[in-house]
Amino acid sequence: MQPEDTDALPIVEALDLLCLIEAKPHPRFEKPLTATARDMRLLSDAPWIRSLGKLDFTVQTEGWKFPTPMSESAPKPTPDDEVEMVEKPRPASQMQDLPDSPATERKPKVRPRPTPDMVLFKDRLLYLLQPPLDHLFTGKQVSVPFQPFDYQLEGIAFLMPRHAALLADEMGLGKTAQTILSIRLLLHAGLIKQVLIVCPKPLVFNWTRELQLWSPDLPFEVFGGDLESRRTTWTVSKCPLKLINYECLTRDVDFLKDDRVAFDLVVIDEAQRIKNRDSKTSVVVRSIKRDRSWALTGTPIENRHEDLVNIFAFVDPGRIPADTPPKMLSALTSDCILRRTKDTAQSEMPPLLYRDLTLPLAPAQQEAYALAEKEGIVHLNALGETITVQHVFQLVMRLKQICNFDPLTGQSAKLEQLVSDMQEVAESGRKAIIFSQWVEPLKVIAAALHEHNPMEFHGKIPSADRPGILDEFKSNPDRHVILMSYGTGSVGLNLQFTNYVFLFDRWWNPAVEDQAINRAHRVGQKQPVTVTKFTTEGTIEKRIADVLDAKRKIFHDLLAMNGPPAQMGLSEDDVFGLFDIKPPKRR
Amino acid sequence: MSQTISPQLGFLTIFQESQGYQGGYLVTNSWGRPLEFRLSSAVQPNRVQQILYGTTLLEYLHADLIGKTLIEKTSTATHLLVTDCPAVLAIRDRLDLPVLLLLPRGDEPEWDGKPLTAHASPTTNGTLYQESRHEADVARIADLLAGVDASLDLAEPFGRIREAVGEARKMGGANRAA
Repeated sequence: MQPEDTDALPIVEALDLLCLIEAKPHPRFEKPLTATARDMRLLSDAPWIRSLGKLDFTVQTEGWKFPTPMSESAPKPTPDDEVEMVEKPRPASQMQDLPDSPATERKPKVRPRPTPDMVLFKDRLLYLLQPPLDHLFTGKQVSVPFQPFDYQLEGIAFLMPRHAALLADEMGLGKTAQTILSIRLLLHAGLIKQVLIVCPKPLVFNWTRELQLWSPDLPFEVFGGDLESRRTTWTVSKCPLKLINYECLTRDVDFLKDDRVAFDLVVIDEAQRIKNRDSKTSVVVRSIKRDRSWALTGTPIENRHEDLVNIFAFVDPGRIPADTPPKMLSALTSDCILRRTKDTAQSEMPPLLYRDLTLPLAPAQQEAYALAEKEGIVHLNALGETITVQHVFQLVMRLKQICNFDPLTGQSAKLEQLVSDMQEVAESGRKAIIFSQWVEPLKVIAAALHEHNPMEFHGKIPSADRPGILDEFKSNPDRHVILMSYGTGSVGLNLQFTNYVFLFDRWWNPAVEDQAINRAHRVGQKQPVTVTKFTTEGTIEKRIADVLDAKRKIFHDLLAMNGPPAQMGLSEDDVFGLFDIKPPKRR
Repeated sequence: MSQTISPQLGFLTIFQESQGYQGGYLVTNSWGRPLEFRLSSAVQPNRVQQILYGTTLLEYLHADLIGKTLIEKTSTATHLLVTDCPAVLAIRDRLDLPVLLLLPRGDEPEWDGKPLTAHASPTTNGTLYQESRHEADVARIADLLAGVDASLDLAEPFGRIREAVGEARKMGGANRAA
């Protein structure tokens, strides 16, 4: 403020500066202040700083090593190792491909999957990590004569992880090939080391041939020779794959008690052979020490649902408890059964054409038949309560034989038709199979068809000669027909180069007839297959055919799991019913 | 010492899920049969780790922490490593093991600014790359690829690994590794 401005200031009242000031004690300063010093780790102790948390990373790992043949897994190389890689030739077309050439359209991959009952993580992992099967077979490592069909890859993917499996594909879909390839892959992977295949005696040759075809790199041994030789095969041989027929296995039951005789896998072909639980074959098969059990059959149920139960007594003992109601079977077994039919598996399979040929009997046959039937029925009625099903069977057989040929003159309506049909077959350059229940008619037929160079394949042909007969029939274009008995020729043979099947007379069980037909209508067949079923008008044959047709329908219903009937074959009542005779009271 | 063998292949994939980064490593023979499989626990970097490692975090997790550990812990030898994660390429600087990156066709052949060199693989559904700076690997990888079975699609085993990791998670396998 400037001095010359003083007069302009307003008059201010004087302030009273003499007010009293009172000092009051404050509680916070009553305590004496003391200085203390303590160490403080400023960088690590709260509350001065917040924790930074973990600065370093840690990771843990867990690993699983899979069984592998020694040659497949190289040890970790030392730095000095010089590794020379195998140069594998590739098709020229592949070498010329550009890296960015458009990818070809790929089909969904088929891979083995772990089964629902597989508990151990390592086991599940092993199958989850297997490469797609289609890749394996298109590569060079697992050579195959031709690519398996997709449904066959699915069959292999089904079999590989399973310890208990029933492959019940319809006949002709290649169960043998699927099984061999599954075995081959499991052996390659080191998952199994010892395998036993059991099959009917007539099929040993077929298995041998299929093994050579589908697994040329796999050594195998067929049981045979004298006792000592078989003992060596059982107890000493280290061959990974052994093949035996049911009869030989039953004879060698004592060897199975030896602790050294144990297998990683046992496969039984035509598993219906063990459908009777108490039969010796069945007991012996079940006694084989094994880790995995596979059964193969196109007819898991030939007669009754117990057939399936008894097959499972081998496949997975204990899976089906005693007295399980038939309706429960499907739920208990569905995970272990794979069944495909030609209709579902192979849309590209050529059609199967049925020709039901009902012929009138020749005059001489008609006369003989009428007489035999009349006398036979009189005889049966005369037996009264002593009648048995065997008596009826005798009459049935007699009448069926007359339906084939007149016993006196040899006249035959069927043969006449057959000769005419075969002329057409031969002229078209095709081949045919003729089935009969008996050997004698086959011989008569052979004589009648001599111009077509027929071959015979039945129980009276020595086993050693049979492979040669099949090879000759296949390779010789002048051999147009082969004559087979149901018993010998209906199972396991691959005759897909034939296009005609004639059932000269009918078998008792539709499943056996189907097996016979499927010798021709199977994988590899390129042409339609025509099946001619001969029956004679107004005779026992027609009545049996009607019963069989009804049974066949039931068979298909059963395999569709619509609830199995109690009985599927010709029952005693069915047999008596053929002549409208009441069965005797049960004794 | 010289030995004639078919190459054994290592397939390494690392994926990020809610629990963190997890790796799966499958060793197969030259036609894809599994020889050994190894799984890592999940690693979840915290905020500080993310700040400290910065842009090197991804490479460290893939190449050093998970990838290298999985390979070193595996007892079966590998001659060629195939991965579908670009960050795994850096393993080549840490191990004497040629590394191939499998990218879907049409993807940009570059990783983190580093140029890549393509390799021909007619049967593989994708394109294979190696880091161009590892020039010596070019011929070595070509030799190795020639020894791989023509039927093996090198992209296919990654599907198997993912399925196996899923199964491990379902059955508690991942917890054992964690």
